[in-house]
Amino acid sequence: MRHIDLVGQLQPALHRPQHAPYPDAIDHALFRAYMRTSHDVGGEPDIPIRWEEKQEEQWEVNTYVTCECLAWRGIWNAEERRRRQNVDLGQTQYLGLPYYGRWLLSAARILVDKQHVTLTELINKIEEVRKRHEKKSPR
Amino acid sequence: MKRSHHAEKSTGKGDPQCFTGEAGPAKFKVGERVRIKNLPDIFYTRCQVYTRGAEGTVAVVTHESPAPEDEAWDNTDKPEWFYIVRFKQKDLWGDYPDAYPNDSVQTEFSERWLEKA
Repeated sequence: MRHIDLVGQLQPALHRPQHAPYPDAIDHALFRAYMRTSHDVGGEPDIPIRWEEKQEEQWEVNTYVTCECLAWRGIWNAEERRRRQNVDLGQTQYLGLPYYGRWLLSAARILVDKQHVTLTELINKIEEVRKRHEKKSPR
Repeated sequence: MKRSHHAEKSTGKGDPQCFTGEAGPAKFKVGERVRIKNLPDIFYTRCQVYTRGAEGTVAVVTHESPAPEDEAWDNTDKPEWFYIVRFKQKDLWGDYPDAYPNDSVQTEFSERWLEKA
């Protein structure tokens, strides 16, 4: 399946129609529901989640260390990191991506936001690494 | 490379130690009853929705630090006192079983979220 076909399916199982509503369709409770910070999950109706023991993978440890170095060098503090990786990315990505995937994305994002790298440089680097990787292990 | 305000301030001292003495006198004491304010929650907070409007008891006056709503944008100008507040589970969840009346939960707030109950 192409990724664009998957996007429309990334919604909760129980949901109300929510495409470009008129202003009078948003009452206060619905507005607060939309504004609710995605990490504030306490008290939400939900079903039990299966808990599995999992060792950290090498890329996860590397991501953690990278983020700590960004704090050490004064690029962000822990609270700004949490805002970016738990809230700014939005509900769909918060629930849909792995824990350290969110750390990694927010590390890349802050370097672009604060102009330590340009998005063009980041895109070109990802493409360069992808090509190098394809040469080493062709699909 | 320009370092964040926060990093410069905390280097060699640690965080939250670097904010000690900057919040003025604490407004609440251990054992006081407080209510959690229902302030707007937009963009960022660490004040859980399930505590809004609930009453609890100050268990610990912890430390001084910028509130998360400020620190998340590297604004360190106005540190506040932080408090650990203890709630009865029954006061947070209407359908909490009566069989466990002494169950409690503790969570942390910056001073702006608390008012005298």
